[in-house]
Amino acid sequence: MENEYTILGERMKRTDSLAKVTGAATFTADIKLPRMLSAKVLRSPHAHARILNIDTGRAEKLPGVKAVVTAADAHGVKWGVFKYTQDHPMLAMDKVRYIGEDVAGVAAVDEETALRALDLITVEYEPLPAVFNPDDAMAEGAPLIHEEYANNINIHVHIDVGDVDAAFNQAHLVREDTFEAAGEAYSTLEPYAVVASYANGFLDLWMPNAGPHVRAKALSNMLKMPLNKVRVRHINVGGHFGARSEVSPGDLVAALLSIKTGRPVKLALTREENAACTRQIHDIKATIKTGVKKDGTITAKDFRVTYDGGAYSSTGPIATSIPYYVYEEAYRFPNVRYNGYRVITNKGIRGMYGAHGRAFLCGNEVQLDMIAQELGMDPMEIRLKNGLKVGEETATKSVIISGGLEAPIRQAAEKARWAKKRIGLPEGEGIGMGCVAIMCGFPMGFRSGSTCYVKINDDGQATIVSGIVDTGMGNESMAVQIASEVLGIPPEDINLVNADTEVTNLDPGAYSQAASFVGGNAVKRACEEAKRQILTLAAAKMDHAMEDLTIKDRTIVSRTDPSKRMPLRWVVREAFFKGEPIAATGAYMPKISFDREWIKNPQGQMAGTYSFGCSIAEVTVDRETGKICIPRFTAAHDCGNPINTMAVEGQIEGSIQQAGVAVLTEENRWSDGWLLNPDLLEYKVPLACDMPEIDTVIVRSNDPEGPFGAKEGGLTTRMNAYSAVACAAHSALGVPLKQLPLTPDRVLKALDKAKGGDA
Amino acid sequence: MISSEFKYICPKSIEEALERFGEFQGEAVYLSGGTDLVPRMKLGLKKPRAVIDLKDVASMSTVAEEGDYIRIGSLAQLFQLKQTDLVSNRFPALAASLEATSCETLQVRGTIGGNLLQNTRCLFYNQSEFWRRSKGFCLKMGGEKCNAVPGAKKCFANYTSDNAPALCTLQAEVAFAGPNGSRRFKLESLYTGRSDDPFDLEPGEILTDIFVPNKTVAGGYEKLRVRGAVDYPLLGVAFSRGSDSGRLAVGAVGPRPYTVELNEPAQDAMGEAVATVINQVKTVENTVLESAYRKRMIPVLAERLIKKVMEGAE
Ligand SMILES: Cc1cc2nc3c(=O)[nH]c(=O)nc-3n(C[C@H](O)[C@H](O)[C@H](O)COP(=O)(O)OP(=O)(O)OC[C@H]3O[C@@H](n4cnc5c(N)ncnc54)[C@H](O)[C@@H]3O)c2cc1C
Repeated sequence: MENEYTILGERMKRTDSLAKVTGAATFTADIKLPRMLSAKVLRSPHAHARILNIDTGRAEKLPGVKAVVTAADAHGVKWGVFKYTQDHPMLAMDKVRYIGEDVAGVAAVDEETALRALDLITVEYEPLPAVFNPDDAMAEGAPLIHEEYANNINIHVHIDVGDVDAAFNQAHLVREDTFEAAGEAYSTLEPYAVVASYANGFLDLWMPNAGPHVRAKALSNMLKMPLNKVRVRHINVGGHFGARSEVSPGDLVAALLSIKTGRPVKLALTREENAACTRQIHDIKATIKTGVKKDGTITAKDFRVTYDGGAYSSTGPIATSIPYYVYEEAYRFPNVRYNGYRVITNKGIRGMYGAHGRAFLCGNEVQLDMIAQELGMDPMEIRLKNGLKVGEETATKSVIISGGLEAPIRQAAEKARWAKKRIGLPEGEGIGMGCVAIMCGFPMGFRSGSTCYVKINDDGQATIVSGIVDTGMGNESMAVQIASEVLGIPPEDINLVNADTEVTNLDPGAYSQAASFVGGNAVKRACEEAKRQILTLAAAKMDHAMEDLTIKDRTIVSRTDPSKRMPLRWVVREAFFKGEPIAATGAYMPKISFDREWIKNPQGQMAGTYSFGCSIAEVTVDRETGKICIPRFTAAHDCGNPINTMAVEGQIEGSIQQAGVAVLTEENRWSDGWLLNPDLLEYKVPLACDMPEIDTVIVRSNDPEGPFGAKEGGLTTRMNAYSAVACAAHSALGVPLKQLPLTPDRVLKALDKAKGGDA
Repeated sequence: MISSEFKYICPKSIEEALERFGEFQGEAVYLSGGTDLVPRMKLGLKKPRAVIDLKDVASMSTVAEEGDYIRIGSLAQLFQLKQTDLVSNRFPALAASLEATSCETLQVRGTIGGNLLQNTRCLFYNQSEFWRRSKGFCLKMGGEKCNAVPGAKKCFANYTSDNAPALCTLQAEVAFAGPNGSRRFKLESLYTGRSDDPFDLEPGEILTDIFVPNKTVAGGYEKLRVRGAVDYPLLGVAFSRGSDSGRLAVGAVGPRPYTVELNEPAQDAMGEAVATVINQVKTVENTVLESAYRKRMIPVLAERLIKKVMEGAE
């Protein structure tokens, strides 16, 4: 296809690549400020205990210690994304609820002194009985971790559409299966760090974050400071995947210490602290009941899903809902009931995850294959039959405006030669398909939209100011590429100022897949307005019809007569003379239903648009050792239209690793409340040598709302790659694997169980 | 960060190293590549008053033929060793185990001596001081109980050297220099059989060389691990076959490698020999794969390996 654009869709070298590969990029832990102190945190050694007394006196007297803070220094404001989930004090008040919970913070002249001071703080605890999994936590008589959550049930999401029971009664075939998956670690390469600097009544903060505005708001609440006095600054972020969405206990600790000392304070967590004391991923158990007609049409779904929520609410209602939504966004469910329970346990705090929900999503897809098998259908056909199409509504009333499941399925199948490979597979080999669709953005009230300012400088270069956040995926580069396309100037002429609460305006942040679709749209609109201003002036100056003018390579040029041209900077200077410098604002608010609420009103338009994807994994399974290998992987992702083709491919490839290969290896392992693998040695992130050969397929649906037709750049793979692998293993073994990750010991157990006649 | 304070010493000879060790009355440690020691110091598992770096003791890194033996200096780097013809041509079992050791980045740093003398590992032991203090110290830390097996009065940490089993099948010997003179003995005699204190050594003894009988033996190594690199073995099986007999050694499932001799390594004798090993092994839930699974894989890997080696040798 001829590219109608200059740079859009090109394999542009990302604007951040060079600094990152050479090590020149700075991250929070690299920041050095004059008079900066080092902080350390005293953590709870108990999974559940009442705090009777904290004595910091001896620590305060240690030479070199400048301040010690506890909950007594905070303002008693608890954090929660929603009013009804505010339960996390961030510095423990009356109780500790997990091992590693923040109890006190110390700021000292160096890290060694701060560490020594921790030993001098005495905390008297009264240990309380603890619970470590949702089943125990919900049991009659289980210890209550928070007074306000009966049976330790933190969140109950209930969705009920149609008449599920009647549909099951009429179904040709009904299956019910339970799948379980251990929780994962985000394994961001950058361990958490925060620098707080309080001076003249202003608090400046740097930390890996996915949304500076929501972070500043949370901290202004907790610190009881006016929002404009809390400024979250731009800094490079070494990975996010959901881990950096929310305010972190360390933010509060560092902020309080800086306020107390009047000096900048840096708190840099260890790898272990990052794993055990920042956010983790939910362990999930999903019971899935599906009814189908004889031809494979899904008529009813009934889900009961429990999420091990750890000690506090976090993004509770969202985390409890998302796995369901990304599935109903892919398939047609005329009758569906979803009961999602998020249960509090005495384990680390949990959050959203890019590959969230693997027990639920793998479970659904594996079960779909089991159903297809019973009906004698090709797994591809049953997916095509039930996949949503443009113009249709999801079960909870979101309209699909572009894409649909069919194109990614067909394009992946063609690339992987599905039809040919599926029949006559040798013993021990399997091929499987996983599908999902994903919202680009979701309702976040007035923060759902994004704004961009652009000014054209006197040298013809542009400065764009956007709330877009880049946590490693290339969002900054995306904004520059869009601006470059619209303004007709090369990327190196564009200066991006972003993700700084003092300078930039609201933006939904680097979650909910909104950066290109929402933030990119705002950049495009601002630049288009600037372009209009430029061309208006140019038309007058060149005495030429404005409609025939455009900007290419820093030059205003006639579309019909290329000899008619004028350097952009002449026009810009003219604008300054006239006292009307080129400056523009652009904003985009997605068309979503703001009446939607995760628990009270789970229906209406969830997002402006949806991306669709299909992954196909080819596996070999060793029946004696239980080891699964993935020699080949094909992923098709409908991103609408790629802004940077290479970046989209990169996202897809990373997703194959983080979901597809990780489903063989990754899990947080626990001994009661102790995390057994808080490191990168025993937490098994797949390595380069574990990766399959990859084919990526970029599906184009040219979204009517997205900037240049773009949606989001690769998340469907992150939420269906594991399903493809689990389905492929099922196809190789003829036995469904219901416990994730698919480590070889689990695979053999499943085979043994099947041999025993009990699948 | 290493939070304990220590003195760093870099002696030029074995004699000097021994002397400096003596000055610290058992509170010094030797350092080769540091890839086992440094992580343990970071976790506070070892808090020596002095670290004695052996890197300048030049005599300890050579590989050479010496009569009936190949002498491998204990400081020989793993990466270099696996590319040495003397090793790759004559001892395929060792070449394979070297190749399977961690990853190339670590092979470049790690030495064969440090590999043999690496400490035993357990998911409940190789943890930070905060972690271990909150859990309560285990037997290997001088505590009263085993954290991996509640109620156990014995430590179950695993000796996870990839190369020790291979060297056992090659009947390697190890030579030490110590405050009370030098000695040389079979590698198999290095081990106490106790996970909490795995080596039968006098304080201050330095491993100087490894001697491998100088004859070509067919062999191989099979390693069980979750990922294709970096990971320590969850089970390692080495096999070497001379002209009339073979030896099988199983590692990473206890405090030492378990070695058995197979006089006639034909298929039927094998089962019995493998059974002898399995009977000695007690795996517990202290690694990332289930203990029963690791044990179950012993005969699977052993049979595959023996078959492969025998077929290759024919
Ligand atoms: C991420 C990671 C993965 C690893 N994976 C593996 C693996 O797969 N397989 C494996 O076998 N190992 C593995 N290791 C362990 C280690 O890298 C190797 O065993 C390496 O060979 C150790 O050698 P070194 O020279 O670095 O030992 P060092 O750390 O220097 O020493 C190890 C121990 O031996 C003592 N010591 C060293 N030299 C002497 C000497 N000459 N005389 C007396 N005492 C001495 C030291 O005091 C220390 O107690 C891994 C390590 C890491 C960090």
